[in-house]
Amino acid sequence: MNIKKQFKEGLITNNPVLVQLIGMCATMAITTTLFNGVGMGLSVLIILTCCNVVVAAIRKIIPNEIRLAIFVVIIAGFVTIVDLLLQAYIPALSDALGVFIPLIVVNCIIIGRAEAFCQKNTVGASFFDGIFQGLGYTLVLIVMCVFRELVGSGRFGGGLIDISNGFRITMDGTGAGIQIFPSDFGATIMTLPFGGFITLGLLIALMQYALKKAAKKKEAQEMAEKEDED
Amino acid sequence: MSENKERIVLDVAYQPQVRTNTDTKRIMLNVILALLPALAVAVWQFGVYPLALAVVSMASAVFFEWGYRKLMKKSCSIGDLSAALTGLLLALVLPPSAPLWLPVIGSFFAIVVVKQLYGGIGKNFLNPALAGRAFLLASYAAIMGQYAVPNALVGSVDGVTMATPLSYMYGGTALPEYFNFKSMFLGTIPGCIGELSTLALLIGGAYLLITKVISWRIPGAFMGTVALLCLIFGKEGYGNVDWMLYNLMAGGLVMGSIFMATDYATSPVTLNGQLLYGAGCGALTVLIRYFGGFPEGVTYAILIMNLCTWAIDKGFHRHQFGVTKEDIAAEKAAKKAAKEAAK
Amino acid sequence: MNKILKLTIVLFLVCAVVAGVLGVVNELTYETIEEQNRIKTERAYAAVLPSDGYEEVAFDEEANPTIDAISKCTNGAGYVVMTTFSGSQGKITLAVGVDNDYKCTGISVISHSETSGLGANAASTSEVGVNWRAQFVGEDKNIALSKTGGNIDALSGATITSRSITGAVATAIMAVESLG
Repeated sequence: MNIKKQFKEGLITNNPVLVQLIGMCATMAITTTLFNGVGMGLSVLIILTCCNVVVAAIRKIIPNEIRLAIFVVIIAGFVTIVDLLLQAYIPALSDALGVFIPLIVVNCIIIGRAEAFCQKNTVGASFFDGIFQGLGYTLVLIVMCVFRELVGSGRFGGGLIDISNGFRITMDGTGAGIQIFPSDFGATIMTLPFGGFITLGLLIALMQYALKKAAKKKEAQEMAEKEDED
Repeated sequence: MSENKERIVLDVAYQPQVRTNTDTKRIMLNVILALLPALAVAVWQFGVYPLALAVVSMASAVFFEWGYRKLMKKSCSIGDLSAALTGLLLALVLPPSAPLWLPVIGSFFAIVVVKQLYGGIGKNFLNPALAGRAFLLASYAAIMGQYAVPNALVGSVDGVTMATPLSYMYGGTALPEYFNFKSMFLGTIPGCIGELSTLALLIGGAYLLITKVISWRIPGAFMGTVALLCLIFGKEGYGNVDWMLYNLMAGGLVMGSIFMATDYATSPVTLNGQLLYGAGCGALTVLIRYFGGFPEGVTYAILIMNLCTWAIDKGFHRHQFGVTKEDIAAEKAAKKAAKEAAK
Repeated sequence: MNKILKLTIVLFLVCAVVAGVLGVVNELTYETIEEQNRIKTERAYAAVLPSDGYEEVAFDEEANPTIDAISKCTNGAGYVVMTTFSGSQGKITLAVGVDNDYKCTGISVISHSETSGLGANAASTSEVGVNWRAQFVGEDKNIALSKTGGNIDALSGATITSRSITGAVATAIMAVESLG
C-alpha cells in the first residue's frame, strides 16, 4: 500500500475526470457556482469512500457472477442516504443539485473504482483510494466552477461566500459571492451547458499537454542517466 | 572521362506544377476588398462608429493570432491576412451600437478557441467569425438584440433602437411603410453592420465571382433554396413573391451566403457537395426563421452545415482521375459478387 | 440449481440489509425534510404576501389546469396562488399574492428555464428583475402588457416570457375571484 502514489494518481496522473474521463455528466451540468461544485464534490467523495470500504470488505464473500448487481445496490443505498441527509440538513444544496444527487448512483467513478480497484485491494487501500479519487473529482469540479462562474458572471464563490457583512462562509447557499467585475460583462454562455463542455474540453487538453510534457522530460532524463552509466 | 556525353537533365519539381499568383494572402485581401462596399453603407447610415468597431475587431483578431502563435512557439501566421478577415467579418455581423469591448471578446473566441486550438488556418471545423458571433449572441443577448436607428430613419421612429424587418416579418405585426424593397436593397434599414444593403453585398459577391475567389454554387444553392421555400410556403398578408424577396433581402442571408458559407476550410470541396451544403444552409435558415425562437437563423444554419461538411465530402467522394463510370460500375459489381460468393 | 439459489439468497440478503439501513435513515430524516419543505414554501409565500400562516383551500382544478395550489393567509390578508405554465423555453413556476380586493400583491418566480440575459431577468435578483416584478403590484385581473394597452412593460427582448407571466397572473387573480 503506497499512500503517496495513490494520492498522486487520484489527483493528477489518474484523475477520474481528466484522465479516466468518467463521471463527466454531472461535471458539466452542475459546475455553475462554487457552492454546487464543493457540495457535489464532497457528496461524491463521501459516497465513494463508503462504497469503496464496504465493497473491499465484502470482496471475498460476494459471488463473482452477481458482483455488479451487489455493487449497484450498495451504491444506491449510500446515495439515497446522502440524498436524504442533504434534503434534511442542507436543503439549498439539495435544491441546487436537484436530480444530480440521485444520479450519482450511475456515476461511473463509483462503480468504476469498485470494479477496478476495491475488488482486488484491501479495505485500507480502498479507503484511501476513495478519499483521493474523490478529492481529484472535487478539485476538477472546483476549478471548473471557479472558471465558469468568473467568466460567465464575473463572480467568485457564488452561494458559498458572503462578504456583505464581513467575510463569511454560508452553508445555506445564500451567499452572493464576490463580484470581480460587473455581471453585464460576463459571457453568459459559460454558465449554460455549452460552457460546461468547452471548459471540460479545455481542461482535458491542458492536462494531456502537461502529462505529455512531463513524460517527455522523464524520458529525456532517463536517457541522460543511461548515457552517464555507459 | 575521355568523352563528355551530353546529358539531358530533367528538373523534377514537386507538385503543384502550375504556378499562379493566387495565394492565401491574395484571396483574403480580395474578400476584404469585397466587404468594403458593405462597410461603406454602414458608415453612411451609422457614422464612423462601425468603422471603429471594425478596426478594433480586426486589430484584436490579429493580436490574438500573433499572441497565440508566439506563446505556442509556432510560425507567425498573421501575414496571410486570414485573422484580419475573421476580425472584419465578425465586426460586420455585430449590431452597429455594440460596445467596443464586444468584438475583442468575440475575436478571442473566434481566433483562439475556434481556429488556433484546432491547428490554425484550414484546420478549424467551424467558421471562426460566425462561431464568434454565436458565442456573443448567447452571452450578450440584450446587446446583440439592440439595433440602432439608421440615419435615413431618424425622425420617423421614436427612440434610439428599433426592430429589424425580420422581427416584424416573424413577430406577427405588419411591416411598417419604411421597410420596403428599396430601403432593404439600398440598406437604409436597421441591422448588423454588414448586412444592411443587399446591393453593396451583391457588388462584393460579383467581385469575388470575377476574381474566382468563390464559385456560384454555395451562395446560389443557399439563396435559391430560401427563395424556393419562401415562395412555396408564403405568409398570410404578403404576396408570395413579395414574401420571398423580403426574406432574401432582410437579415444576414446575402452576407451569410456570399461571405460566411463560402469559407474554404468549412465548406465541402466536392462540387455536388457544395450544392447540397448550400441547400442545407438554406433549408435550415428557413426552418429556424419559421419555427425558431429567434427571427434570424442564418448564423446557426451555416454553423450546423459546417459540422456536416466532413460527411458531405465523404458522401460525394471524388473519383480518381481517368476512372470512368463503367470502371466504377464494374468495381461495384465485382465487390457484390465477392460478397455473394463469401456467403 | 443450487448455484442459482445461492446467488439469489446472497443478493436478497444484501438488498435486505441496504433496505433496512435506508428505512432507518428515512425514519430519522423524515420529519426534518417535511419541516424543510414547509419552510421553503412558506418563505416563497411570504415573499409575495406576508402572513403568520397559510392554509391550502380547495379550488376548481378542472377550470384552472395551470394552478397548482391556492393557500389562504391565516391573517386574512388574502391568498397566495402557486401556478405552473409555459414560458418561452420551458415551464415557469410562479407564486402570486392576491389580496381581498383581488389585486396582485407581488410575484415571485420559483423555477424557470428562460433564456439567460433575456427572459431569465424575470426571476433575477438584479435591479432589472426587481423593478420588473414591482410593476405587478396593485394590478387586477385586467392586467396586460403595455403593447396591448396595459401597464406592464415587457422585458427587453423577452416578450413571450413577459406575456406568459402576465397571463398567468391574470389567471391566478381570476381563480381567486371564483373562490368567492
